[in-house]
Amino acid sequence: MIAESFVKSATKPSLESLNRLLALLAGVALLVVGLLFPLVTMLIKSLQDRAGDFIGLANFAHYFQTPALVNSIANSLRVALMTTGVVVGLAFLCAYGITRTCMPGKRLFRMLAILPILAPSLLPAISLVYLFGNQGFLRDLLAGQSVYGPIGIVMGMSFWIFPHALMLLTTALTNSDARLYEAAEALGTPKWRTFLTITLPGVRYGLISCLFVVFTLAITDFGVPKIIGGQFSVLATDVYRQVVGQQNFQMGAVVSVILLLPAVLSFIVDRWIQRRQVAQLSARAVPWQPSPSPLRDWIFTLLCYAVAGAIVLVIGTAVYASLVQFWPYNLSITFEHYTFQGMADGGWGAWFNSLKLAFSVALVGTLVIFFNAWLIEKSEGFRPLRQGLHFMAMLPMAVPGMVLGLAYIFFFNQAGNPFNWLYGTLTILVLNTLVHFYTVCHLTSVTALKQLDPEFEAVGASLKVPFWTTFCRVTLPVSLPAVLDISVYLFVNAMTTVSAVVFLYNSDTRLASVAVLHLDEAGYFASAAAMAVLIFLTSLVVKLLHTALTHVLLNNAQRWRHAC
Amino acid sequence: MHTTMTSLLAADTPTVMTPTTPHLTIEAVTKRFGSFTALDGISLTINEGEFVCFLGPSGCGKTTLLRTIAGLTQQTTGTLIQRDKDISTLPTQARDFGIVFQSYALFPNLTVFNNVAYGLRNRRVERSRIQARVGELLALVNLTGSENKYPAALSGGQQQRVALARALATEPGLLLLDEPLSALDARVRGHLRSQIKALQARLGVTTIMVTHDQEEALTMADRIVVMNHGVIEQVGTPAEIYHQPASAFVASFIGSMNFLEVTAQGDNQALLGTMPCACLSHTLKVGQAAQLAIRPEAVALSRQAGALNGEVIGIEFLGPFQRVTLRLTDVDQTLIADVPSRDSTDLNLYQGQVLGIHLPAEAARLYPAGSSQQ
Repeated sequence: MIAESFVKSATKPSLESLNRLLALLAGVALLVVGLLFPLVTMLIKSLQDRAGDFIGLANFAHYFQTPALVNSIANSLRVALMTTGVVVGLAFLCAYGITRTCMPGKRLFRMLAILPILAPSLLPAISLVYLFGNQGFLRDLLAGQSVYGPIGIVMGMSFWIFPHALMLLTTALTNSDARLYEAAEALGTPKWRTFLTITLPGVRYGLISCLFVVFTLAITDFGVPKIIGGQFSVLATDVYRQVVGQQNFQMGAVVSVILLLPAVLSFIVDRWIQRRQVAQLSARAVPWQPSPSPLRDWIFTLLCYAVAGAIVLVIGTAVYASLVQFWPYNLSITFEHYTFQGMADGGWGAWFNSLKLAFSVALVGTLVIFFNAWLIEKSEGFRPLRQGLHFMAMLPMAVPGMVLGLAYIFFFNQAGNPFNWLYGTLTILVLNTLVHFYTVCHLTSVTALKQLDPEFEAVGASLKVPFWTTFCRVTLPVSLPAVLDISVYLFVNAMTTVSAVVFLYNSDTRLASVAVLHLDEAGYFASAAAMAVLIFLTSLVVKLLHTALTHVLLNNAQRWRHAC
Repeated sequence: MHTTMTSLLAADTPTVMTPTTPHLTIEAVTKRFGSFTALDGISLTINEGEFVCFLGPSGCGKTTLLRTIAGLTQQTTGTLIQRDKDISTLPTQARDFGIVFQSYALFPNLTVFNNVAYGLRNRRVERSRIQARVGELLALVNLTGSENKYPAALSGGQQQRVALARALATEPGLLLLDEPLSALDARVRGHLRSQIKALQARLGVTTIMVTHDQEEALTMADRIVVMNHGVIEQVGTPAEIYHQPASAFVASFIGSMNFLEVTAQGDNQALLGTMPCACLSHTLKVGQAAQLAIRPEAVALSRQAGALNGEVIGIEFLGPFQRVTLRLTDVDQTLIADVPSRDSTDLNLYQGQVLGIHLPAEAARLYPAGSSQQ
């Protein structure tokens, strides 16, 4: 009888449990070393003097007595609030156009609107210099105001933060219940009142969440103010100047702690909102479908395409600037700037480093983050460890890139740190980038995993199949779309980020985004534009490949999805 | 279906076990979630080859008990012994059972073949033997030819049969079914019910099924375990559960039941209002408030007035019988009687009619008052 041979293989339960525990501990260790220890070290540094002796809050007292430094707080708040107003206002209107009107060309608009995500935040700043700078061709539009300062910063930040806000608000506005609108209409409610009593309350959580996300991104951004800020200093550029310019690490730590506060605050508010948002929309809700209304539809078409036009203009300007011989005197087209003569070791090496980093982060990060999320979501036991891991996975969202980068210097560059050998390698850049963008990937993984049948693991266990087999044969393939989303998100961010890595590269591991910064500092503006465009194009190609791959996978390799 | 199954299984040597060998012994199992007690000192023995149903309303602890047996939930206290082996603390992987969930939990990205072969692959069995075994199992659940289909291409009933084949593939000593039929529509459910039951009887695999559907439990089970609030109310054959409910809860949960407010008298007696009624012997004190339980089909009606009379206040036509609602004269209580359709012509039923009522003593049980409410 066949049966006997099936029963004989003895299982080793303890081994399986042990593996699970080890995997969990590895996940916890990763975030403890890659996030908690550096942050704690930085907090301690802010309380020490240069010699490393504890001096309490003296550094903070010194900070608040130095007007040049304290001014940055007000500056940062001002540009961040202005950016928030501009971005959320525009994004709300555009999201409304996409979800609640019959405007034509929605798909094209959405494609154009996410382009800024693929570019480093340095790109819009460079473009704005070409557009509105001392020799910009649209300089007159600013009516005598200088673009080097708050105006330029707000414009530059608005450009690259816009897609984030648009995605959040589109999601919020998509969730609508047609029955409420029909009820309002049946009761003869005027349109404006319907908007105030149904539409706005329906999106209030999404809107508040969006406000805080945008504010955090704006107040912690480094690339835009660095390029276009001129004498107008903000917190993020202060950290850089204190550390890189003046080698004053203690003051850098103090500014970092201050920069951490608004980010932590908005993180807490966001978590609080997420908790209340649960099941606001009942399962029986009927999605609302817009009906044509020519005037409204055309107004929103014009508005959306004006925004899309601005986006295309900014990117186009960067591309054009990178191809022009010598702006504005010799406008003949050349590829000379793509040889990056301003860089001693050649810019293509930096680009190649970025590519290596981005692929490594995409590969390692996706597997690590998804697997950790799986351990948290789908395993039994070790509850405190799983909760601790989840908490640490949420934390990176509250840590600005500049702060994380500086924290890494403090922690990994300490004499006697066993991880000291990592310092200056590509590995530390991979670790830093992975941790920096951990939270969004974690949340995406958790959402995907929650959609799976909760009994898959139980079935696997009852059939005596080890958990890693079920993970590889079922969980991973079924979650493939989410996994691909995570990997492309990590790739693009690794390609474009500058804030954290600016502290961590060395001459062998210089990255493309850092090269943009250096070329700009050295006055090679066209080469800086060229490098920024190169980063943008790389991200674009990978994004297109990702779209194509997802398409192919969903249609062919994953036939089971539509096997009906 | 039956021919394929019979021919296939005839070749198999049926497992010969004396029916009273215990397969699984549950001793004083308690499970608490915080301050909530899901299982409160459950003790139960399940014999080799038996088909046992855990029946009860939602939240009664039946699923928790099943998951505890599977090792998916760890009991707070108590022991589990399967075939003389203490499995109380063993992880799921080390226990010997197959399980079928209400949601099927078929792996959507694997074909029917790979789903069924999932547990076999791991055991380093030759490919040809896996193929033979899967073929055998699919024939068993009447799905030969569906090997290369994906779960999404199958109907709910077919998916559940694949899940069953997958659970049986590794020849587990114990089959656990967690509300396997609840997600299916009524017609498929009835069909699958008899299929599962026949399959179980032929394979002789010890089976535990969780269900909230009394009809399912009554038709399929050798023994039913009725649970409520984390305790076992009664264990017995379907006939015992139906005809001799051990508590008012069981009486009210299974089938339809009339509860009349009465006062207990000496042995075999109760007072309905001022009128004495005969009933089965009871242990209640004289004068204690009680309820007299009697099934609607046991109530006899006649056109001659008797000691107990009632006025017809509602007639429902239910096909094989008519359900008559009566208001008792003298006491303000209602009673339901099921009258077989062929008898109803004799009664010539109409609203407002006053009929004589006979409550046969052998069908009337006394329970303490207020205990039928959950």
